[in-house]
Amino acid sequence: MNSKKNFIAFFSGLLFATGLGISGMTQPQKVIAFLDLVGTWDPSLMFVMGGALMVHFISYRIIKKWRRPIVEESWHIPTTTKITKPLIFGSLLFGIGWGLSGFCPGPAIVSLGTGSLKAIIMVCAINLGIGLGTMGENNG
Amino acid sequence: MSFVFGLISGGAVLSWFHPEIFTNTTEFSYLKLSIAGFLVGYGTVIAKGCTSGHGVCGLSRLSKRSLVAVLIFMSTGMLTASLIHFWGVKF
Repeated sequence: MNSKKNFIAFFSGLLFATGLGISGMTQPQKVIAFLDLVGTWDPSLMFVMGGALMVHFISYRIIKKWRRPIVEESWHIPTTTKITKPLIFGSLLFGIGWGLSGFCPGPAIVSLGTGSLKAIIMVCAINLGIGLGTMGENNG
Repeated sequence: MSFVFGLISGGAVLSWFHPEIFTNTTEFSYLKLSIAGFLVGYGTVIAKGCTSGHGVCGLSRLSKRSLVAVLIFMSTGMLTASLIHFWGVKF
């Protein structure tokens, strides 16, 4: 069961990496060109999120009707609905970092596979942020 | 962990066949990348989600929290990238 779970997770990673790569998310200058409204705006990445949303909007509704997931006992779906200060503050910081670098976590990790030093530094810094954030949450 | 391994392997295989999809023409300093990375990582944990988590998964579940998160990080992302271009800041 565990190897099946790992295989599915690995395959999902491969598939997600391919999607991010083909769609241009692994080219920071393209992400910046989408976020940068000064000069020539490149709106193409909007269709990446739009496309992903359409697929997940439909597949989520179909899969939710299954009795249980394929490799888990039960579903793990967020239940919080409150708009909290950390949600706002965290999103704010995330946006600044994304706008500075053109990298968000998924594409940064995928780019690690190329051995690029920029990606390595980015992912190390992301992990540092995750570590400190998790520590802060556990103490607070 | 297998998922992350899949992501990295995917990147490696893709870059073997199509190195051009990993073109990175940005000339950001390692300092800038470190600051940006830290903000991205810290922000993701605090807000409990990123472009994939809130943007794709959350929005398609019609989560109000995710809508708020996406609106905020899209705005601050656009504001940051635009201001940096506008002011001509390079670091």
